[in-house]
Amino acid sequence: MAKQLGRDQQGITLRGSAEIVAEFFSYGINSILYQRGIYPPETFTRVQKYGLTLLVTTDPELKSYLNNVVEQMREWLYKCIVQRLVVVISSIENSEVLERWQFDIECDKTAKEESAPREKSQKAIQDEIRSVIRQITATVTFLPLLETACAFDLLIYTDKDLAVPEKWEESGPQFIANSEEVRLRSFTTTIHKVNSTVAYKKDSFP
Amino acid sequence: MEDLEDNTTVFSTLRSLNNFISQRMEGMSGLTTPGSSQSSLQIQYQQRVQLEEQAGQIHSKSQLLQVEREKMQMELSHKRARIELEKAASTNARNYEREADRNQELLTRIKQYQERETEAENKLKEQMEMNKSYKKSMETMSKKLQEKESKLAEANETITILKGKISELQWNIMNQEMQMTSQDSQKQELMEQLDVQHKKWQEASQQIQTLQANQSLLAEYEQKIKDLEQKLSQQEHDALIVKNMKAELSRFPKMERELRQLREENAYFREMKENNGLLKEEVEGLQRKLERYEKVQAQLVTVELENEKLLGKLKSWEKVDQGTGLNIRTPDDLSRQIVALQQRELVLKEQNSTITNSARVLEKARQQLQEEILRVQSQLLDEKKKREQHEALVRRLQKRVLLLTKERDGMRAILESYDSELTPAEHSPQLNRRMREAEEMVQKLHAHNTELEAQLSQVLEEVGTHKQRAEMLEVEMKVLKSQECTAEQSTLITKEEVDTLRLKIEELEAERSKLEEENKTLEMKLEKLTLQGDYDPSRTKVLHFSMNPASLAKQQRREEQQQLQEECERLRELVRVLEGGGSIPGNLEGVGSFQSPQEIAELKKQVESAELKNQRLKEVFQTKIQEFRKVCYTLTGYQIDITTENQYRLTSIYAEHQGDCLLFK
Repeated sequence: MAKQLGRDQQGITLRGSAEIVAEFFSYGINSILYQRGIYPPETFTRVQKYGLTLLVTTDPELKSYLNNVVEQMREWLYKCIVQRLVVVISSIENSEVLERWQFDIECDKTAKEESAPREKSQKAIQDEIRSVIRQITATVTFLPLLETACAFDLLIYTDKDLAVPEKWEESGPQFIANSEEVRLRSFTTTIHKVNSTVAYKKDSFP
Repeated sequence: MEDLEDNTTVFSTLRSLNNFISQRMEGMSGLTTPGSSQSSLQIQYQQRVQLEEQAGQIHSKSQLLQVEREKMQMELSHKRARIELEKAASTNARNYEREADRNQELLTRIKQYQERETEAENKLKEQMEMNKSYKKSMETMSKKLQEKESKLAEANETITILKGKISELQWNIMNQEMQMTSQDSQKQELMEQLDVQHKKWQEASQQIQTLQANQSLLAEYEQKIKDLEQKLSQQEHDALIVKNMKAELSRFPKMERELRQLREENAYFREMKENNGLLKEEVEGLQRKLERYEKVQAQLVTVELENEKLLGKLKSWEKVDQGTGLNIRTPDDLSRQIVALQQRELVLKEQNSTITNSARVLEKARQQLQEEILRVQSQLLDEKKKREQHEALVRRLQKRVLLLTKERDGMRAILESYDSELTPAEHSPQLNRRMREAEEMVQKLHAHNTELEAQLSQVLEEVGTHKQRAEMLEVEMKVLKSQECTAEQSTLITKEEVDTLRLKIEELEAERSKLEEENKTLEMKLEKLTLQGDYDPSRTKVLHFSMNPASLAKQQRREEQQQLQEECERLRELVRVLEGGGSIPGNLEGVGSFQSPQEIAELKKQVESAELKNQRLKEVFQTKIQEFRKVCYTLTGYQIDITTENQYRLTSIYAEHQGDCLLFK
């Protein structure tokens, strides 16, 4: 508690902002996986975060994969070289992309480790994150049903000159052929700004 | 038969004729009367005619008969001819067949001969070819023979040549043998000489040996001499060295003195060297100074030249000062003057710009004023119209007033007349009321009038103010026009620029608007694409984890598919085997069973037990049925058998015959 209070008083540093955004991605991706039914609901457990009851996975393989990606994201956010994180949901049978959750990251490059922390309260950031996550939950009402068995993939858009770390590889952008896009809320820590959009395949109703 | 019939008719006719003739004769002899002579002649004539006719008929009939006999004979002959012809034909046919057979035989023979011929020809050809080949071989052989003959001839020639050579050689050999003998004799002589020489040689060798021994002794002595000489020389050297050493030793104190001196000189020289170094540095410094001074001198010279030039310029400037009379003595003043002039220029430019701005402003004001003027004019017109309307109203009202006054006067007159006529006490209240009403009407009319007059006055005031404004604006217009005239002269040149600038401005504004629209559309597109997930490949790249859940899921699906396919194939094999009726091989059974083997064993046991039960039951049923039937037969004496379906046979013990039975359905 004292630490938190101290943080509140201290303000947002570059490292702290990277930590907040990485945490948001971790919980956000878990929510998306639960809401869209990529994994069976009984493999999720409840935790309290941002003043909400969120569901996170207990599958150890999936957990380790998410932790790896989030760790890498944290590092890259600290270096301000990541531009976008995309959750691609595709059908297993024909590898067709059905949904694309896109989080654009705008980084204020003037903020370095040595610069003074920015004035923004943790509570305000948490409120913004909470509204984003609520919105993600609410989008389920208008997104089309995922009828076939689906799997997800995480794509990260980075600067061109970044050295590709071990276990990572380059991939295509995996667009949706005939897509409808919906912009969601954004939140900002004054150093990093995260815009969310969801794109889904337009149903071909006659 | 016809002939016979014809004959009978002929005979009958002959008979009848004869009878007639006889009758006629009798008749003729009997009748002598002339009266009946004519009739008898007629009758005779008729009889003759009839007889002739009958004769003709008989003749014709006989002819017919003959013809018919001839016909028959002809037919017979025809038949005989036909038969003969048929025989001939058959014989001909047989001959023909024989000929045909012979033909065929001949044809076959011909074919055979032809085949033989072709074979013979082929053989001939082959033989010819063989012949040819043999001929060729023969030719080659002949050629070879010829070659060989030629070779033989050559060989013969060579043989002859060689024989000649041999003869020569033999002759040579003879000669050489002769020589040999002579040489042998020589050799013997030489041998003798050799012996002599040999002896001499031996003696010589002995001498040589002695000589060699002497020589070796000599050499040894010489070596000894050399060694001794060397020792001598060394000793002499040593002696010399000793002397030198002595000399040197004697020199030693001198050397020491010299050493001291040299050290002193060394130190001195070191100091000198240092001084030298210092001096060299000083020299270098002085040289540099020298160079600098020389440069400075050169610069001095140039500076002096410049000075002179500047002095000249100064003088010229002073002259200028004297010429212009602007109180310029120093360049500072000039510069100040120039600065002042520049400032003045700046000020003037500012003024110019302000003036142009004011001109623009004034133009704008003028335009605005023009617009206002237009507005005001329109307002004026409106107000004029209103005024006219009001005047018309006023006139109408005045007319009304006049009419009303007239009415009033009339009414008053009437009232007065009435008053004068009638008693005032009875009708005065009415009259008073009427009066009051009329007065009220009049007051209303007055009020209305005053109102209208007030409106009129207001309108007139407004018109007056508008007129004043118009006059003011006209005055201002005149002022502006006068100003324009003055400004026009100064801005004549700039008006064209202004026009061109305006055109440019309009074009640029149009371009700007187009570009803004394009910009908007492009921004929209960009936004849409970024929403869809587009990125700039030159600046960004897309990464993902190699072991990501989507690829893992695909892999798993593929593996599942493969497993399912393999299972499918195994099951298909099982099915084929089962359909074939073969026993389930152990491995397939183990593979194809999705139940545990324990369950299968249990089921098998159950099946076996069920079958055993079935069999036992059958046996039991059979025995029981047989017993029952026997019992029935023995007790009742009747046996019922089933022969075929739906047919039963009843037999009894007490039947007379064994085969007696009752069949019923």
